[in-house]
This record gives sequence, C-alpha cells and structure tokens, in this order.
Amino acid sequence: MEYKTSVKHNYDHYKGHRYDNLDHRKYGDKEADVCIIGVGAAGGVLLYELANAGLDVVGIEAGPFWDPQTDFASDELHAYSLNWQDTRLSTGNDPLKFGPNNSGRGVGGGTTHFTGVFYRFHESDFRVKSTDGVAEDWPISYQDLAPYYDKIENDIKVSGPKHFPWGAFNGPYPYPEREPISAMAQVFREGCENLGIRSSTTPLAILSAPFDGRPPCTNRGFCNEGCLPNAKFSTLIQHVPKAIDKGAEVITDSMVTRIMVDKSGKVSGVEFSHKGEYYQQKAKIVIVAAFAVETPRLLLNSACPQFPDGLANSSGLVGKYIMPHSGHDVYAKFDEEIRLYKGTPVMACTQDFYESDAKRGFVRGYTLNAHGNRPLAMAKVTALDAGYWGKDLREIMLNFNFYGMITLVGEVLPHIENKVILSDQKDEYGMPRPEIHFTYGENDNNLIEHGVEKANQILKARKGKPAFVAADTGHLLGGCRMGDDPEKSVVNSFCQSHDIPNLFICGASVFTTSGGANPTETILAIAARTGDYIADIARKGSVE
Amino acid sequence: MVQNTYYPDFDVLNSIKEWDPTTADVVLKRLGPFPPLKFLRGEEEMRLRVIAKHLVYDTRDDIFNWVIHFIDNRLNEGIGEYQREPDAPSEDILVREGLIAIDNLSYKIHQKDFLNIGIKDQFKILSDLQVGKAASIPDWSKIPQKQLFDKLLILTVSGYYSHPTVWSEMGYGGPAYPRGYYRIEFGLTDPWEAVRRNEGDKKKIDKEDSDGV
Repeated sequence: MEYKTSVKHNYDHYKGHRYDNLDHRKYGDKEADVCIIGVGAAGGVLLYELANAGLDVVGIEAGPFWDPQTDFASDELHAYSLNWQDTRLSTGNDPLKFGPNNSGRGVGGGTTHFTGVFYRFHESDFRVKSTDGVAEDWPISYQDLAPYYDKIENDIKVSGPKHFPWGAFNGPYPYPEREPISAMAQVFREGCENLGIRSSTTPLAILSAPFDGRPPCTNRGFCNEGCLPNAKFSTLIQHVPKAIDKGAEVITDSMVTRIMVDKSGKVSGVEFSHKGEYYQQKAKIVIVAAFAVETPRLLLNSACPQFPDGLANSSGLVGKYIMPHSGHDVYAKFDEEIRLYKGTPVMACTQDFYESDAKRGFVRGYTLNAHGNRPLAMAKVTALDAGYWGKDLREIMLNFNFYGMITLVGEVLPHIENKVILSDQKDEYGMPRPEIHFTYGENDNNLIEHGVEKANQILKARKGKPAFVAADTGHLLGGCRMGDDPEKSVVNSFCQSHDIPNLFICGASVFTTSGGANPTETILAIAARTGDYIADIARKGSVE
Repeated sequence: MVQNTYYPDFDVLNSIKEWDPTTADVVLKRLGPFPPLKFLRGEEEMRLRVIAKHLVYDTRDDIFNWVIHFIDNRLNEGIGEYQREPDAPSEDILVREGLIAIDNLSYKIHQKDFLNIGIKDQFKILSDLQVGKAASIPDWSKIPQKQLFDKLLILTVSGYYSHPTVWSEMGYGGPAYPRGYYRIEFGLTDPWEAVRRNEGDKKKIDKEDSDGV
C-alpha cells in the first residue's frame, strides 16, 4: 500500500558516512558556519555553493533523502509521497490547493516533482511599479541575476532552442532543444502558427544528450512523479550529492520547529524534531529556505522576547504578499488522438502575451504552456475544478487520449491581504498549522480571462473543440519579499533579513512579484547569488 | 450501467515485465487481496462503496475493493490532507460524520436510509451536496456539504483512476520505465500502445443495466 511503503534511509549524511540515527552528527554540539533549513530548490543550491566555498554547512530537511531508483515509481498516486502533504488551512475567496502543484517534501523539495520547465524572468518583471504603476520593484534588476541564470543553466545543462524569442536572453542554451516534440506540443505550435502567434520549444532542465553520467530523456512523461532515469535535473541528484562530496552534512526526516536567538539579538542556530526527540544545531548563519508557507510559519513561530512578533518581522510583512500563479488548464477535444501521457509534459510555449499591453485592460501578462498529463491528474481537475462527476466524468476520461491541454502561468499581483498566518490549530510537532488566505484581484481575473480565451483560440485554430477549463493554480511565491526599504520588505537584495544580520531567507518566499513564468530557474539563480554573497561575507569574517 | 472502451484489446498489464520492480509492485497491489479495513466500520463501507460507484459511474466491485481499501488506508493513516478550510473538520471526521449526515438526509427526504432509496434518489442527494443545496438537517452545521462532496470525490477519483483496468479502458500506456516512449509525435504510437477501435466497435465490458440512471 502506497502510504505504508516505508522509506528506510539514513538520516545523517556526510562524506563517507551514512547513519540511521543522529548519534554521529558531523558537528553535533559544535557550531557550524551555516545551517540551511529546507534542502529543496534554493536550499540544495545554497548547500552546494557554500560547501564549495569551504564553509561548514549543515542542511536540515523535514522529509527523506530519496533514492530515485527505489522510492520513485512511474505512478501518480505513489508520487503523492513526494509532495508536502501536511495539512495546511486554506481560505479566502479563492482558497489555494497545496501539494503536487507546489511544494515538495524530502531532499530536492519541489524539484523532484516539477516539470523541468526552465524560464528566465523578463527585465520588466523586476520593475513592475516603475513600468506599470502596480506592486513593487525588486531591489535587483535582471542584469543582477543574469550571470547566475547563465551559471545555473550551464551547471545543469539546460536543453533549449537556439533562439528563444522573448525576454533579454534569446539563447542558445547549453544543450540542444529536445526533439522530437510531443503531439500536444505539435498541435500547440501549429495552432499558434495559424494565428500568427510566435511559439517556441520550451527550455527544460531535462537532458537532450548525456551529461554527468545521466542519460537523455526517454519521454516517459513522469516528470511530476519523480524522474527515475535521472534525465531531469533536481537538487536531489545534482547539487546535494556534490555538496556532500565537498563536506556538507544533510540531516533528513527532521522538522525545524524554532530558530534560536541569543542575547545580542542574533540567531544562534535551530531546534529540530526527529522521531519525537528534539535536537539543536548551532550555526553562525541561519538560512530559511523552506517554501513560501513554511518559511513565514517558522519565522512567526520563532517569536521570542526580543522579537515578539516573530523573526525578521519588524515590517509586519512576514507572511504577507503571497502570490500563486493563475494556472488554469484549458482542455479541448480533438478528432484524433493526442495521448497527453507521452513525452515530457511541457515541450512548447508562447510568451507573446507576457508584457503589459494597454489595449487589454490589465497590466502584466502570462506564459502559455502546451501541457501533457496523466489520468489521475486530469481526472482530479476534471472532477474537482471543472465539476464533472458520474457519467460525464467517465465519458470524458474514456476519451482521455483525445484531449489536449494548454496551461496558463499567469502573473498574480501582490496584495497584502493574501498571506500566511499562524492558526490556533496545532500539528504533530506542536507547531501552529499555517493558515493561508488567498483571493484574486481584479487585474488577476482580467488576465485569466484573456489567457483562457487565447488558449482556446490556439486550440480551435488547430481544430480542437474547447471542452472545459479547470481553475487551477501553480507555484507559490512571496511571504518574505525582498526590497531596499526595511519598512516595506523582509530581506535585502541578498536575501539577508533587514532585522537580523545573520538570518537569511531564500527561495520562493523572497519574490517581490510573481512574474508570468514558471519560477524555478529564478529561485535557483537567486539562491546562487545569495550563496556568493554569504561566501564573500564569510571570507571577510563578519556578517554585520 | 454500461461501460465502454475504445480500446477493447488493450491491457496495460501486458507490459508489466517492462516496468521497474517498484512500479510493478505498487500497481499490482491494487488488484488485491486487501487486508481487513482499519478505519471504516459497520455500514460505512457499504455507503461509501455506493457513493463511490456513483461518483465515477462504474459498478465493478473488484475495482471498488481497491478504491475502498485506498480510502480506508488514507483515513486511517492521518498523514495529512494538503489543505482544508479552517473551520472544516479533518477528513476522517468529515467522511465519518458526513456518511451519517447523508443517511440522516435520506431519512428526512425519503424516510429510508441511503442504501435503501433508488439510485436516482441517491444521485440527487449527491448532486445537491455538490452545490451545497441539500435539505436542511442539523448535521450541516458542522459538516460543510460541498466540502464533504469534494472530499468523497477526490478520494474516490484518486483510487479509481489509479486502477490498471481503468487505465486500459482509457488506452493509457501506463508506466514506461525503463522502456520509455519513442514515437511521441502526432499520430504515432509505440508498438505496445493501445490501438483504438472505431466507435461502432465499442465493446460492452459490463452489461449490467441499472434502473433510471
């Protein structure tokens, strides 16, 4: 039975050592240079970059250290174990769903179950207030991140087109684009072509040729379920093993419940729970890299006499301004088989509607991804989001092979009422469950309407019959936004908290705005830049 | 009830020797046998089974043995449910109390328990729950109707659309590691994939008729 499939691994990992208990920790009572909470997309990169810089670094991860060969399966239900399943309280006019379409649990975090779609943000994404008069500008520009985008793409050998038509970087990518493209990607591109919309193959963190002992993709389609062949990048298989080789320690199956603060008002380490026992890890620097829900939750739960409103929260903005992407799935039925289950899920896209256009009646924009799917994912959105059940659901699903899908990745503007707070319900660790409030704004809804209409036009232009729209979301960003003004943001441009100099926050939570594209590459680029900054601080011997 | 398939000759399990051991083990366990239920008790299983059958419009007990087992295990494990509304009960309570509420609703409307009313009436109750418009009973003060319906639906769909027989009927190629898929372009299929028959050749795989559905 799926949930009983026990993952028996070691809990303590460092070079040459694997222990199934915490009795042999590398640092134990000693102080490490850096403790990273959450070994996912950002945490994995930071672990690697800081170990590479020669620092004593410990990563603490709530979930297991997966072995893809024995823990992953080519099965959707089984793959639930890769998601963060802990109950979160979700409310607002548009309550968010959690799990498969956002946060992961275990080393690698969400990168174990993302589709591998790897976009850079556009230049305009970083100055939304200046150009569109809404939201806030980031304290960094595209140019600040560009070298890190380059670095990450080269480190993991992103496969992409020779020419990508949008944004400041037009390719070529380190590895050639994947070919052939799937039937869904084909009909998407043909539909775009018929309408005069530019389309492209998608840049992917999925290999088109061998690299680093890893094979190219075999198009089995199970990116969201954990890549068994290791053709898809994740920090689990890419950064973390290399970090361990460089001396990093990874402690798994351990939930950090509190960040400790010393008398001087600096953070001094973390407290974590492992199998019901509580442990501590002291560190000169603490980095919280635990997703847009768990990061503010931990900061708020670490309130202490010096910081009664939670850590890094003098602005009162910890947990505020969270942003999903509007992720509506637009389905059409074709007369011929599409077979959405085959091939990497996303192999073609358009960003022709990414930038603001005054004629449309809303600001900012979106990406449209041709999107593959497997039966359970389609049945779930068809039933829960589109409202079909009984005979209708069965009829749709019997025709599974005839459906095509385009997914919207729409920018959602930040709003202070969209937030993560602590509820009065407790979890198994005694921590308050996070309560997440989300409601779309008027601009968001106008953008969604436009994106859904465009997706339907593309499907129709290739003889698809629009069938139904599932109002889904994807990703989650914000909650500890970066900015130059300590009263309007939580961290500075290097992800260092304004309030506590040796406390850093990194990952999805620091996004000032959401952009209109899948965010993973930007998360990694920000983490690499933060890693550089911390390594530099450490070389100078101070975090002031 | 009649179920059809466009792929009467296809059985995804014919490829099982091409699957990795973990995947094969995970999928084969869905064919049973199943251990005794741990969470569901008394008439809960029967009520849940009937509701699950309606939600996905199928009647085959071998498939619903797996669906029930899946739901029972999930409710028993308490591993977390991703999200719920702040004022909603946890899913184990939502389902347990919800099944009682559905019976109470049936008594109020039909003076019979849910299992003893007609299929049409059972469908009507589910339809009302979906839009939160079921007749007023005290239970609804603590069991939100729509959330109950959504929970029953997502649990059922998760189990049902993970069953290899259902995959075969859809023509879904299934697990593909280490083999992978190679002919992924429009109109192409790998030799082991499902071949669609014309609409006129639909094979009736279950001829059990039901009244009024």
